Amino acid sequence: MTSYSNGGFFNPAYHDNETLEIDKRYPRKNNHTNPYAREAPSWQGSGAETHNGSVGRTTGGDDSLARMPWGGWEEESQRGRESIPMGLISTRHHDRNHSAFQINPDSQYDRSRIGQLPSSISANMTMRWRGMTMRSMSMFPDADPARLAFTEDAIRNEMENEEQNQVKELVALSTRDRIHAIRSLPTSFAEKKHIRSQVLKSAKKSRKNAHLADFSENVSLFFRRCGYSVRSARQTLQLWHGIMKEIGGKFGTSVLSYFVFLKWLLMFNIFSFLVNFGFITIPLLVYDPTPNIPPNVSFRGLELLTGAGYFRYTVMYYGGYSNKILVGLVDYNMQLAYFFTITLYMVLCGVALLYSMASSFQTNYVLAAPASSGAWQLLCSWDFSVTNERAVRQRKNNLRVQLQESLSEKAQRERLTLSVKLKQFGVYLGSWLLSTGLAVGCGASIFYLCQYEEQRTTDAPSWTLLQEAETLLLPFVVSLMNLVIPLFYSLFNKFELYSSQRKQVYALVVRNVLLRGSILGVLCYYWMNVVPEKFSCWESVVGQSLYRLVIFDFLFLMLGSFFGEFLSKVLGTTLLPRLGVPEFDIARNVLELIYAQTLAWIGIYFSPLLPAIQILKFFILFYLKKVSLTHNCQPPRRTGRAAQMQTTFIALLFFPFFVGAVSMVAFTAWRLTPSKHCGPFRGLSNTFIVVEVWIAELAAKPGSVWVVWIYQHVIESELFYFMLVLIVLVVIYMFWQVIQGRKQLIVLLKQQIVNEGKDKAFLLEKLQNLQKSRPNKILKQKTPKKHTKQRSGNVSAGGQSTSNAMLQALFARQQLEDEEGRRGNGGVPVPSDISTSSALVQAMMARQRAEDQEEDTHMSDTDFSSPSAFTQASQARQRAEVEAWDEHNGAADYHENAANTSSAVMLVMQARQRAEDEDRTQWVPAHPQNPVPAGSSALIQAMLARQQAQNEFDDGY
Amino acid sequence: MGNKQTIFTTQQLDAYQDCTYFTRKEILRLFYRYRDLAPQLVPLDYTSHPDVKLPYELIGSMPELKDNPFRQRIAEVFSEDGEGNMTLDDFLDMFSVLSEMAPRDLKAYYAFKIYDFNNDDFICKSDLEKTLNKLTRNELTEDEVRMVCEKVIDEADLDNDGRLSLEDFQHMIVRAPDFLSTFHIRI
Repeated sequence: MTSYSNGGFFNPAYHDNETLEIDKRYPRKNNHTNPYAREAPSWQGSGAETHNGSVGRTTGGDDSLARMPWGGWEEESQRGRESIPMGLISTRHHDRNHSAFQINPDSQYDRSRIGQLPSSISANMTMRWRGMTMRSMSMFPDADPARLAFTEDAIRNEMENEEQNQVKELVALSTRDRIHAIRSLPTSFAEKKHIRSQVLKSAKKSRKNAHLADFSENVSLFFRRCGYSVRSARQTLQLWHGIMKEIGGKFGTSVLSYFVFLKWLLMFNIFSFLVNFGFITIPLLVYDPTPNIPPNVSFRGLELLTGAGYFRYTVMYYGGYSNKILVGLVDYNMQLAYFFTITLYMVLCGVALLYSMASSFQTNYVLAAPASSGAWQLLCSWDFSVTNERAVRQRKNNLRVQLQESLSEKAQRERLTLSVKLKQFGVYLGSWLLSTGLAVGCGASIFYLCQYEEQRTTDAPSWTLLQEAETLLLPFVVSLMNLVIPLFYSLFNKFELYSSQRKQVYALVVRNVLLRGSILGVLCYYWMNVVPEKFSCWESVVGQSLYRLVIFDFLFLMLGSFFGEFLSKVLGTTLLPRLGVPEFDIARNVLELIYAQTLAWIGIYFSPLLPAIQILKFFILFYLKKVSLTHNCQPPRRTGRAAQMQTTFIALLFFPFFVGAVSMVAFTAWRLTPSKHCGPFRGLSNTFIVVEVWIAELAAKPGSVWVVWIYQHVIESELFYFMLVLIVLVVIYMFWQVIQGRKQLIVLLKQQIVNEGKDKAFLLEKLQNLQKSRPNKILKQKTPKKHTKQRSGNVSAGGQSTSNAMLQALFARQQLEDEEGRRGNGGVPVPSDISTSSALVQAMMARQRAEDQEEDTHMSDTDFSSPSAFTQASQARQRAEVEAWDEHNGAADYHENAANTSSAVMLVMQARQRAEDEDRTQWVPAHPQNPVPAGSSALIQAMLARQQAQNEFDDGY
Repeated sequence: MGNKQTIFTTQQLDAYQDCTYFTRKEILRLFYRYRDLAPQLVPLDYTSHPDVKLPYELIGSMPELKDNPFRQRIAEVFSEDGEGNMTLDDFLDMFSVLSEMAPRDLKAYYAFKIYDFNNDDFICKSDLEKTLNKLTRNELTEDEVRMVCEKVIDEADLDNDGRLSLEDFQHMIVRAPDFLSTFHIRI
């Protein structure tokens, strides 16, 4: 389109804006049958007169076709519709026969500014278009409406064309994309519906065979309806919609994110339960429904807490599974099933986590700006989902406090002295040392406790009640630590003065992660190294320990919300009102969830049905937390960055915890010898041998040679992994380089935006200076004539693309001609120009000058030596203008067509030629005043040149 | 999926589903929400496209909106007459944009319109002041209001024209990922 051929003139940021749009508005209470015919008598006549009727409707031919879409539209405008969408003209796709302006005779233009434009295929493009419209609007606060309205018909044609094009583009898309595009149109519903019906109609028409068309239409409709039904059904399955809404309404999105996370984990566990239950447990139960329990073991009730005793011999744990090939309808190899189910489950978990982590990183981290930003606080932080009156009030208060803080923060930050900084550093160091020390201490004490427990327990098939109860000590201590130590951490956190809340939260999170990591690390070490040597069916023993940990964790979670929330509420409301009602601590609660999930992951190998317990646990926890939240807590004081926190949590879940769990399970499967007398892998030297045995079996069978080949050459081959790693490294390096390049590009683009802004500011300033220098003339000029009394502010023309620039210039010219019609003098150079803002400014300046010159009866002419086609256009117009001035009748005939660059150039050239033919007699040649030097903004150069010219004229005068 | 409902024709429902981010069930739910606002005004049969419009007073009294500081702006922006009186179509459109599924650009566009109180297609200082007063219950001093507005414009105005255009606003939104979840009203 406008391309880069114009040197530094163009801002590439605007290059995708290949459009021009005209906004059009209607008076709100308009009862005319035809919205176009409203003021026809006065202005249409005069418009035609002035322009010798040259700008007429030339596209009447396709009226029958084009009018149809607007039927409903006109109807709506009668219903008192405020703003009528007008077409955006995509210069790419069609020639525009008239670039035109229109007016808003509505004196209340302010209200009707919201232009609703029908628009493009893709939401992005649409948005950009809208942006342009907005930007270009309202630059002509006192445009003369009547003068400009003459081309309403042309506008309508354009709009119809535009709509046709839009419909065409939509038809070209696939059904799915089409619906997406329609949905994301920023227009009113009626408009969307209208476009949709158009699209459907023409989609039908475009098919050759009517029967086939009907058929495929029906099929696609059927599939679409199916899709919608599936979506509906999925929504029915959605858990807790009402509760989520309530929480969101009372506490806002950030607290809600905890519940969303909890729900996500619950779904995750349901999935893993289904996998494990379906592939491991069901086949076994079908084959052998009764667990083989030693006769002296019976259910005593304590098992629910300890998981030992009776449970030890059921399918709950590793030990309950057989190593046989189950013979039924099909042979089912339990060993393979167990191994592959667990492996598959782990891989799927990893992929799901990676996926959600990566996508949330992409949306939440890459582009995020610092949270302290005031703009963000004011314009993006309001939570529309909050519907509770009290919460709204509180939020308002909080926001006020935050804003005040952020105002004072700036002043404070500069005042920090070295000693204060040192003191702060000391506090950080101290609290970090202390918290790390605590974490290490906890790990050590757990280690000794494990040793103690090891001495107390025996490897007997059944334990006494006391023995069983003793096993509860370890999980009790672990859970207690997990409950109490974080409270200490929160306490330290109060003494540290972090500059931002985010840092504070992250410090807390890191310490908690350290604590849990050290405890779990010690436990894992114990399970891997000590337990296998002592117990005959050690996997089941580990499974039991994990079961106990899971159960105790659950109990302590309940206790935690009792102590953490209920007690502090009681304290805050009765004893120490200074403390106030507690807030829901999202970070702590989410970390608890992550820890719980880690236990389930570690346990998956030892106790395949652990997810069932987990499901139950999360389900109850959801309601518990909800009740605790609504009764004990108040909405958070600070509106933090919930989305980023969410990302951090998923990353945490993935990185130390999931990776840790996977490596532990992998270590168990590869290195440790499974117990000799129980479980599916009994008698093997390690779990992975199963696969080798299987492959050896397969090798004997014909037809499965490829599996063996893959195993030998891919799974077992170092070379393969070596190559793989190498390729991955190369790819990573390449992407790294691409990222670096993009970063540079971003910097450049930002710089360009800033420069553009500066250009604009500079030009505006110049304009103002000009205005100031001739106030008297402008005053004098304000002698309105006949029908031109209406002043309407929102005649707008696009200012974004080249064609918009043309429009602006044209507008200015029309104005000029208006004046000329009255006074019979005045010629003006109408520079039409390139980039957004400058185009507007240029046009305004042109107008300004027109007004001035009307007084001067002087002509100023400036030549641009810019290579731009638009400079040519402006020259052409200038000359035409001069001619008009000379002959005192404004009989010039212009065909301004700004469809796309080339056609615009062509037409402008024609216009110029015509103008030159006509003005042979009195032509005052234009003199280039100032050749444009190479380099910086040519625009400014042009401006300066013109000003210089102006000055010279003034002097001469 | 029984075809019991007689409120809309199948074609109407198809159109609604194609033009909003809602499923059939949600559309019906929204219809009932709409109808509950004024049962005597809204007929139970929409197959003949009745021209029903609920006044802003009713729309603004919905529990989802009634405490929202921007409720009037929201209603104005989404209503066809610009005064907050809504047809069922406007109503659906509004909640479609405010739903979870709506893309960021669409949301940003309407959020911009909501904050643009004087409809001049720029968020200028007066708009910011109004926003600020709505969000803080007029409790900031004039000086503070001025400073905050200046700060906001200073931070978000990329092209230095002293006001925020849609591009500036979108640029800010892109860098504020929470916006997607906060510009969201559940129904």
